[in-house]
Amino acid sequence: MTGKASSTGRRLGWIGAALLIVSALVAIFAPLLASHDPEAPSGAPYQSPSLEFRLGTNDVGQDLFAQLVYGARISLTIGFLSAVLATLLGLAVAVVAGYFRGRVEGPLMRVVDLTLALPFFVLVIVLAAFFGRGLLITVVVISAVLWAKPARVLYSNVVKVREYQHVLAARAMGASPQRILGRHVVPRLTTLGVSQFVRTANVAVFLEAALAFLGLGDPTRISWGSMLFFANARSAFLTDAWLYWIVPPGVALTIVIVGFAFVGYALEERTDPRLAGRRTRPRTRARSGDRSETERPSPAPQAPGTVLEVRNLTVRYGGEHEVCAVDDVSFTLAPGRTLGLVGESGSGKSTLAFALLGLLRPPAQVLAGSVLLAGRDLRTLRGPEATRIRGRQISLVPQGAMSALNPAYTVHRQVSEAAALTRPSSDEADARATEMLERVGIDRARHRAYPHELSGGMRQRALIAMAVVNEPRVVVADEPVTGLDVVTQGRILHLLLELREQLGLAVILISHDMPLVARTVDDIVVMQEGRIVESGPVETVARTPRHPHTRALLQVGELRPLRAPESDRSGVRR
Amino acid sequence: MLTRGLRRGLGYAAVLFVALLLNFALPRIAPGDPADYLLPPEAAGDVTPQQRQEALSDFGLDASIPVQLQQYFVNLAQGDLGLSVRYARPVTEVLADRIAWTAMLVGGALVLSTLFGVLLGFASAWRRGSAADTGTLTSVMVIDAMPPFFTGLLLMFVFSVQLDLLPVFGALPASGATGVALAGDVLERLILPLVTLTLGYLGTVYLVARASLIGELEEDYVLMARAKGLDARGIRRHAQRNALIPVTTITLVGLGTLVGGAAVVETVFSYPGLGLLIYDAVLTRDYPLLQGAFLLLAAGVLLANFVADLLYPLLDPRVRPTGAQVG
Repeated sequence: MTGKASSTGRRLGWIGAALLIVSALVAIFAPLLASHDPEAPSGAPYQSPSLEFRLGTNDVGQDLFAQLVYGARISLTIGFLSAVLATLLGLAVAVVAGYFRGRVEGPLMRVVDLTLALPFFVLVIVLAAFFGRGLLITVVVISAVLWAKPARVLYSNVVKVREYQHVLAARAMGASPQRILGRHVVPRLTTLGVSQFVRTANVAVFLEAALAFLGLGDPTRISWGSMLFFANARSAFLTDAWLYWIVPPGVALTIVIVGFAFVGYALEERTDPRLAGRRTRPRTRARSGDRSETERPSPAPQAPGTVLEVRNLTVRYGGEHEVCAVDDVSFTLAPGRTLGLVGESGSGKSTLAFALLGLLRPPAQVLAGSVLLAGRDLRTLRGPEATRIRGRQISLVPQGAMSALNPAYTVHRQVSEAAALTRPSSDEADARATEMLERVGIDRARHRAYPHELSGGMRQRALIAMAVVNEPRVVVADEPVTGLDVVTQGRILHLLLELREQLGLAVILISHDMPLVARTVDDIVVMQEGRIVESGPVETVARTPRHPHTRALLQVGELRPLRAPESDRSGVRR
Repeated sequence: MLTRGLRRGLGYAAVLFVALLLNFALPRIAPGDPADYLLPPEAAGDVTPQQRQEALSDFGLDASIPVQLQQYFVNLAQGDLGLSVRYARPVTEVLADRIAWTAMLVGGALVLSTLFGVLLGFASAWRRGSAADTGTLTSVMVIDAMPPFFTGLLLMFVFSVQLDLLPVFGALPASGATGVALAGDVLERLILPLVTLTLGYLGTVYLVARASLIGELEEDYVLMARAKGLDARGIRRHAQRNALIPVTTITLVGLGTLVGGAAVVETVFSYPGLGLLIYDAVLTRDYPLLQGAFLLLAAGVLLANFVADLLYPLLDPRVRPTGAQVG
């Protein structure tokens, strides 16, 4: 399934390329394909298709097939030349404005915005009306209007590239601008430049046809647009010739335009793989689908005295690089206890967290094991049943407080909609949300604030309110204080423990920060490369670590930087 | 709010100013004599140098460029866009006769293509990677690639010529129908141009809506919405709310494309709007009229962009001005 879905863009790209190649071949070999002069009358008017006139003739006896074949030359030439010219112009403007900055950047980009804001189609018509109808003039007019889009797109990429470390380094070492541009900047723009070229060609072909259709084409050359112009001007559909007069050039135009569009889409999907609708790379940070195909025997009953029992859980990432992110993991959690899950980045702890909540998505997959919560195996639940468990029985406090909140809704609304899941009226849900937000220490005046108006600590508090609003049995806190300053870290953890006591929650605290966890939790589980290497009460594990990895984690903690080493992860995402 | 709106407004005023300058410059820098653009094309061939000179001085074209420019702006301020060569009437009057038809056509197509584009695009994004998504994506891209004048000719042939269901030409019936009957006739004549123009713009909206929702579905807040127990409907609401933001701006910014599309669609259906006027002006070399139409359309598009900018804060709270951050 995933393999099939992945190729949508690539398949479209190949189809598009094939369509364009065929059109180009027709254009190149036009004299071989057509036996008549496209512009001279070569037979009686309105002839039906025959061996000699494969698409019949028009009202003045011109061979419609010859016009169609030769028309490919005009469309492709103008499309190609305009796209080359517009993309190069756009590239030049983008590089000059983006790289040299200074006094040119502002005015140049303002010109780009000006050009983009004008109705380009009408502008092309007006320019063509004034400057004439030759092939080259059409090319110049079309490029003069279309260059701004590639300039804008490429410019934003130059701005990004110029801040890259190696570019900054090359500049610092005094490399000449030509060298930096040639070796570091322009090569980085290739993919984007090609996709902009294709997009521009797509529009240029259309514009040429539209101009010709409005009678503004090159009068000495027959193009697909001008075939349609004559057909329309002479009411071709009132005659029987319409089928051979209107449909072939229209279809030909569609083929070339869609060819460029398909190739453009394929290139876009390459720069933004999300559009393909599946993850092309497995991520160390896991959140991906579960539900393996194999039927499992119903598991033995949950161990007494536990709220959560994880038994032999194994999660694998499929795809090109198969990784076993969680490997045969078992542990139990008693009510009201706090369990620390510690490991370095990539040890599988986040994958484990998402597996507990049933939030894995392909290519991640639970291969074996069970997650028992209140006597039920969460892995056997499907769809709506699984939804009803989340938030009510087990909930998540995610890391990255900014992106975990919807920027478009107030925090109160986001807590309230969670509260509404277990409450009959929205008034009650609103009241509950207010209560919980106050309880996590957000002042009433800030309840109607949007996430971006709150500090990181406040956002994390709002997320905690959201997680506990329905008093679940288990809260999984995945790096809840990462990225916050030390004082705020302490406050947030304290809040979590306080709520644990007040609401009788069991908490799983996931972190790479061993000393922090050791100060906070009752029990510790240490993970390395998907496996549990050591577990037990915190006193034992922290004071007398048996496994070398545990010792390493305890020592690293002493040299811990303020901010967590998360860069390797974020690099893998998307 | 005010400062942001004001800044944007000034930006668009600058674009409009450039469009005005362009209009002033075009007949003066284009090949040939400015008088060529003012005389009826039939007459331009056999005028004597003296008549030519008279024409130039009639239009003030023998004055220096700064004086001409000044006169140009004075005329503009008085709502004078010059005389249409073909109609021998003030350009503004001719434009006023036509604008309602184009506004109706473009407005209708904007609403319909946004509606269907968003519905299809969101449906595709939810099923991304599935056969349904691939099928919709491919067909919409093919429809999008069909030039509107080709679509229009096809629709006209099928529905008007073959099936004889809908009228071919114009916007108003020849008969003197009034009231409801007139409204029905007008609507009937609007259908084909409207469908053609809608199909021409649907693909743009669809692609933006699809890509936008796919992007939003990858965001962490969607994951959090699932984690807190929202069902599919709740998650949908969250993601779609944010996915609509780029759709709205791109839709309105794309108005320029739609207005251009109207030019060819009106030509196909002989629909008496500004687009057909542009076509006629091109054919009859009625340059003052062509420039007037361009100016009007440019102003309309810029106004729509401005409105989109003003509406943006309503959609995206992040750009709304608020109190200081609480640290």
